[in-house]
Amino acid sequence: MSYWEIFSWITMIILGIGSITVFILFLKDMSQILKKFQEE
Amino acid sequence: MYSLANIDYFIIIIYLSGMVGVGLWFARKHTDFDDFFLAGRSLTTPLLITTLISTYYGIDVLFGDTQLAFTDGVVAWFGYARPTYAFFLIAALLLAERLREDDFKSLPDILDFYYGKKTRYVGAVTSFIYSLPALSLYGFGMVAEVTLGWEPITGMLVLGGIALIYTLTGGFWAVALTDSIQFVMMCLVIVIAFPYAMSFIGGFDTMIETLPQSFFDTMGDLNIFLIIIYASTGLSILVEPTFYQRIFAARSYKNVRNALIIGIFIWGSYDWLITILAMSAKVAVIKGMLPPDVAPDAALLTVVVAALPAGVVGLFLAGVLSTEMSTLDSYCLVAGGNVSYDIYKPAMKPNATDHELIKTTRYGILLSWVLGFGMAVQFEQMLGLWVFLSSILISSMLVPIMLGLYFKGLRKPLAGFLSAGAGLFSTVILNIYIMTMGKFDVSEETYVIQWFGIDFLQEFVMYITVPISFIGFFIGLLLQKGKQR
Repeated sequence: MSYWEIFSWITMIILGIGSITVFILFLKDMSQILKKFQEE
Repeated sequence: MYSLANIDYFIIIIYLSGMVGVGLWFARKHTDFDDFFLAGRSLTTPLLITTLISTYYGIDVLFGDTQLAFTDGVVAWFGYARPTYAFFLIAALLLAERLREDDFKSLPDILDFYYGKKTRYVGAVTSFIYSLPALSLYGFGMVAEVTLGWEPITGMLVLGGIALIYTLTGGFWAVALTDSIQFVMMCLVIVIAFPYAMSFIGGFDTMIETLPQSFFDTMGDLNIFLIIIYASTGLSILVEPTFYQRIFAARSYKNVRNALIIGIFIWGSYDWLITILAMSAKVAVIKGMLPPDVAPDAALLTVVVAALPAGVVGLFLAGVLSTEMSTLDSYCLVAGGNVSYDIYKPAMKPNATDHELIKTTRYGILLSWVLGFGMAVQFEQMLGLWVFLSSILISSMLVPIMLGLYFKGLRKPLAGFLSAGAGLFSTVILNIYIMTMGKFDVSEETYVIQWFGIDFLQEFVMYITVPISFIGFFIGLLLQKGKQR
């Protein structure tokens, strides 16, 4: 396996795990924000 | 065109309906202009990451990175994308905190504060032109043609129209929320597409064996001046209006800093994978698995749609639409704000109410969309337009904004006005001159004109216009001794 390929798989893992984690945190924040909107 | 399964159409329709639904839900929730334009300055770190990343991708994905990767290889990442991260780091560590020290709402607000109304108007016009969604609409036309078999104009009207509706109705809250959904879609489809594309071409080793060695040369065989120019397009981040809008919309400076530092890893990974995907398209073309006439800017789309199974193609297309929509909505909103907050309010109605400002912003959004549509239909070479739009911002805004932010003693109205005005004027004139008097060179994929026996590429315009803006600034300083804001 070449260094190019190893690097590509690492970036795939970073992108996959990173984007899902950020999205979960976003959902957590968004539920608070939407609650605020509904109260108003 | 590739035939899509019913499940693909179903996924795309669900996605598009969801976007419109979000806009309509937020339509009546806005309490004031700050809420409509800056989401009440309450964006948290995750929201900033999602909206920054999804907005910044779009134009680059479809026209920059992948086109360069398809024709030249990994230099697209090392020479073009990588320097951008350095500018993001500078923005995170040095720029964001400085920008949050004062109560700015827009980029022209800064110019007004440091140099006065005239420079504000030059900044507003520059920002408005830069934010016209011509490239995003063109991207919609291309996506619709390649994947759905629609006429490009139909694609622009339908897909661009949907993004227009939710931006008009929902404002920045709708933009930020849809950006977040679009962010996860665009990232995950690339993650899913990568192994499929590798399997489609026969593995990574096949890529290394098939492509010329120069494709794996980190600086490729590109002209060094072109690499410097590609790298310096990253400078636009330091004066990017949608980027500034997100800094102003953040809850605090720390949220921006954290979002940018985390974002750099996601940006880098995303850029690398689309570079590899575009290179796999080249392999597929060489091996006869894709038609030989694949346009370089459609390489990513073509290889991924060919490699993915039914259902996942629908998800991928929804992801590609996301990439474009998140860009179009953000730029239209900024252009609308330029019309209402940066021009209409200070020039025509200083005591405009929040309701009037929101209404005028919506007119501005509509105006920018219509003008962008006209440009997308009219221009034959979108790459030339892309170079023009990215050079206009750097050439007229970089010098006055950076000097104003960091050197209090240089904040003189005439200096700011001459710098911004000379940068804007020279960029417009030079680009029009090269695009009308020069020839489009297919091998260089840009407009070229002969000057003093040298091939002068359109990309080189910034070598002239940024120094002009700099000279304009110092002429202004010399002419206006003593008057400082």
